[in-house]
Amino acid sequence: MAMEAQGQGPNFSTRGASLFQAIRDNSAGATPYLFLLPCLVILGALLGVPLYKVVEYSLFDNVIIKPDPIFVGLDNYSNLLSDSGFWSALLNTGIFTIGSVLGHLVVGMSLAMMVNADIHPRARTIFRSLLILPWIFTAAVVALNWQLLLNPFGVINYWLGAAGIINEPLDWLGDANLAMWSLLLISTWRGYPFIMVSFLSGLQSVPRELYEAAEIDGANFFHKFWHVTVPQLKPVIYGVVLLDLIWTFQLFPLVWLTTGGGPGRVTEVLSTLTYRLAFVDFQFSQAATAAVSILVISAAFTILYLRNETRNK
Amino acid sequence: MSNIEIRDLVKRYGTVEALHAINIKIEPGEFAVLVGPSGCGKSTTLRMVAGLETISGGEIVIGDRVVNGLRPKERGIAMVFQNYALYPSKTVYQNMAFSLKLSRVPKDVIDQKVRAVAEILELTELLERKPGALSGGQRQRVAMGRAIVRDPKVFLFDEPLSNLDAKLRGQMRVEIKRLHQRLKNTIIYVTHDQVEAMTLADRIVVMRDGHIEQQGTPDEIFHDPASEFVAGFMGSPAMNLVKATAGADAITIGDTSIPWALPASISNGDTLTFGLRPEDIRPAIDASEVSTRLTVTLELIEQLGTEKLIYFTVGGHSFVGKAEGRADLRVGQSIEVAFDMVHAYGFSPNSGARLR
Amino acid sequence: MSKKLIKAMAVAAIAMIPVQSFAQTKIEWLQWFAAEAGADTYNSLVSEFEAANPDIKIELVNQPFGKVRESIVTDHAIGISADVLGLNMPWTKEFLDIGILAPLDDYLGKADNGFSKDQLVQAPIGEIDGHTWMVPLTAFPFVLHTNMTLVKEAGFEHPPTNWDELKEYATAISKLGDGISGIGLPFSSQPPANGPILTLLPLLYAHGGHSMNGTTPDFDNPAVVETLQLLNDLNASGAAAPGAASRTGGVDVEEFVAGRTGFLISPAAHSANVRERGADFEYAMTRVPGDVNAYRVHGFELGISANSKHKDEAWKFISFLLGKQANAKVAHASASLPGNLEALADFNTDGDEVLAKQMDILSNDTPVEELRQAPKATASWSIMTEEIQAMLAGNQTPEATAAAVQARWLELIK
Ligand SMILES: Nc1ncnc2c1ncn2[C@@H]1O[C@H](COP(=O)(O)OP(=O)(O)OP(=O)(O)O)[C@@H](O)[C@H]1O
Ligand SMILES: [Mg+2]
Repeated sequence: MAMEAQGQGPNFSTRGASLFQAIRDNSAGATPYLFLLPCLVILGALLGVPLYKVVEYSLFDNVIIKPDPIFVGLDNYSNLLSDSGFWSALLNTGIFTIGSVLGHLVVGMSLAMMVNADIHPRARTIFRSLLILPWIFTAAVVALNWQLLLNPFGVINYWLGAAGIINEPLDWLGDANLAMWSLLLISTWRGYPFIMVSFLSGLQSVPRELYEAAEIDGANFFHKFWHVTVPQLKPVIYGVVLLDLIWTFQLFPLVWLTTGGGPGRVTEVLSTLTYRLAFVDFQFSQAATAAVSILVISAAFTILYLRNETRNK
Repeated sequence: MSNIEIRDLVKRYGTVEALHAINIKIEPGEFAVLVGPSGCGKSTTLRMVAGLETISGGEIVIGDRVVNGLRPKERGIAMVFQNYALYPSKTVYQNMAFSLKLSRVPKDVIDQKVRAVAEILELTELLERKPGALSGGQRQRVAMGRAIVRDPKVFLFDEPLSNLDAKLRGQMRVEIKRLHQRLKNTIIYVTHDQVEAMTLADRIVVMRDGHIEQQGTPDEIFHDPASEFVAGFMGSPAMNLVKATAGADAITIGDTSIPWALPASISNGDTLTFGLRPEDIRPAIDASEVSTRLTVTLELIEQLGTEKLIYFTVGGHSFVGKAEGRADLRVGQSIEVAFDMVHAYGFSPNSGARLR
Repeated sequence: MSKKLIKAMAVAAIAMIPVQSFAQTKIEWLQWFAAEAGADTYNSLVSEFEAANPDIKIELVNQPFGKVRESIVTDHAIGISADVLGLNMPWTKEFLDIGILAPLDDYLGKADNGFSKDQLVQAPIGEIDGHTWMVPLTAFPFVLHTNMTLVKEAGFEHPPTNWDELKEYATAISKLGDGISGIGLPFSSQPPANGPILTLLPLLYAHGGHSMNGTTPDFDNPAVVETLQLLNDLNASGAAAPGAASRTGGVDVEEFVAGRTGFLISPAAHSANVRERGADFEYAMTRVPGDVNAYRVHGFELGISANSKHKDEAWKFISFLLGKQANAKVAHASASLPGNLEALADFNTDGDEVLAKQMDILSNDTPVEELRQAPKATASWSIMTEEIQAMLAGNQTPEATAAAVQARWLELIK
């Protein structure tokens, strides 16, 4: 769709021309790139064009709303940076992202180790399948279910009340002091399977003998975890955490569909702010600017990730 | 230095019994080798001694203690694994120091011990390397170093040399032997290589299908096998084992009769499995006077260097014998061979038990 | 279109036979109506129209209410707008700012329309910037839905008619226990965060108040403060269900249908939900309690995209939908009243107390419609929602809440 709006952008064809130039100049060395060409063209269309559009939007005054938007340079960026709403959303995003990833790590890793334990193979298969479930639900279903669970009349309040932990029901998603914690709970529940599955395959590749050697050396559970499991999984941990950071950082539906950034703006993250700017406030250029800020930070994580990947080669 | 006693040890995996009430007694400082074909239960026995497998029945005693319920680290053992199981993220030094560190030994004591052991094993130069940067033989030495540093009462080795090439295996074998002479610890060593078993052991335990076929000194095992299985398992090439019928002071193999002073338990007319090691079949020119001579046609010759293996048929059965490395022999040649019947064995064709 | 063309050309080229050009125009109708209730009725109306107009094909695009506004804007930006748009009055001003809608004056003036302009419900066809931008498909008031079973259990005979009764009854119902509450206050931040227009405005209008002065926000007036005070009282006395700040409009309706709240303030059309879901309690619909008979008027509106290449055909379809018979069918399907009042002649309310009550409210009470001209309406609800959340959490007084909304709203439209 963005392609249609873009038409045949001149930037695209010039880039293509220089590629051909390169191929002609160094025909022997460039042959492999010829085979990559279709792939590059498709990637360019799928990624490059929308990316270019968003950056372009962020440099104009209100696009879409105005028939003839004018170029305003970096005005939108200075607006964004001087908006306290942006900074609080950035802070919330940081809290949400780091909290979620930590939650995923702790829960995912613990479950991976539990599921990896020596139990009956059929029981193990069943556990594994069950534990992966949160992953397969759509964000909308997850959000709806947790809203029901966390409702003042929901099961969680009922249990906590019955256990004598709370005296009166709490509005987990509507109380400014609890909303972020609740969101982290939901996000942890939703996202741990990715870590669990990644670690599980990692754990299975840890030679059993290492644990036995450690046991003979006198290691207890935590020693074994720290001196055998963690070092063995280190490459996996690093890559998976970075990927998770990238995903969680731009996570939108889960937040939007559970708290909508509220109450007030206590759970407003960059992605919901972007959406709000675009579709609630109809400030599309400002929204594009916020999107670029997400892009820049995500890109930084991505570069780290790719560097790690190549180092592991 | 501890004695080890294994009493009626049973291991069950589900409904399958992998070990059937075995008994082994190892004296303090003895080098015991468990040997046997793949799947016979050697590793299982060793791992039960180590505390890595639960015990389904029977008792294991190390020193004066029944260790059945003890965790590995409480048993005073150290183990060397087939794949070394070195911690890949730790340096050689850290690998060797790990167990001491866990038992909160002071740093300077650790350092002293690790360096002393590294000196013995010629690892001093490698202390700061990670296992990934070591050769197979070096890793093997680190794995032994890690075991030695703890100064255990008992060493357990599970096929420690099987990942090394033949030459290195030979060298390491000697090193292990030297080490044992120096440290004098009790050792249980698992291998399926009978040369290792013969060269290293004070006591060999031959296992088969979860029970013990025979235990004794290498001499006893090799020269006085208790069964056809042991006789066939020890020695390379394997002992010639053929069907035969007993006659009067002779046995008949196919259409060939060979004079033999029958052991007491064999009587005229019995069928038996007749056994003779290739070493005891030689070209007649090299042989002693007393031996029995037969004329045979050579079918195959294998040159091993110091000796040649010669293949031929007697009474419809294939035999292997040995000749001098320099002997001038050709395939198809007809020669006279001597059977040294003093060293012939008879086994029951049904149970495989030695007929004496 | 182009796909069809290519196909036609291909067929012509391969078969080498003359292709009879059958110029059929395709019209898209984007709306949320059919997604809520009575999908069959909409489908059969489309078939009926297509049968009478073989040269026009209607594609019904159903989306949930929360999605439609977004789709209209993005479709417009990309240039793939649907021709006929289902509209919600509060969106009007925002859409006009972007230039999404086509003016309808010329069409309304046509002689061959299936209805007469004077017979339409008037609020939606009022001019903005000198033009009419939409026409009413249906109309319904905001009402008080009551679970009479609970009211009677709490010891009362009739639905509340004023605020004091509302507070008293709701408090008493909450005391029944079992997770039952008097009323819900749907002030979640979740999109569309429209709790204020669902609950606050109807109560405000029934109190004789307003939230705007012409097209200028006027939120800090005494009537607004008093209405906010009412919400605060309902919340503080435990009459309202706990968790207002996480309660969405959707949940609020569900909870009422499930019999867990005594009262629900929402469009009269929601009686269709109660009816369709066969709720097992005695149901009653009355005007929103207050001291004047004024109601927030609402309905399903229709407009034409400024981008549409087939505006005439689009109008032809709209004109059909506003015709007496079609309009009566739509009204029945959505449990509301027809936008073309002439259709009332064909509109059988006999025995249907709910429709009769709606007609009573529509014909006797004063409609109030402020949102059609409200600037930045959607964003302003978010502001109201956030400030009301803070008030209900005990962080600010109704006065401060009203003042904060006013200030932020003015800032928003600056
Ligand atoms: N975890 C297990 N579950 C079931 N059976 C097992 C298990 N471990 C070993 N066994 C069985 O127990 C028997 C003895 O195995 P063990 O590993 O002791 O053999 P081994 O003598 O060490 O052989 P190898 O020379 O191949 O190492 C084998 O038949 C094996 O299949
Ligand atoms: Mg083994």
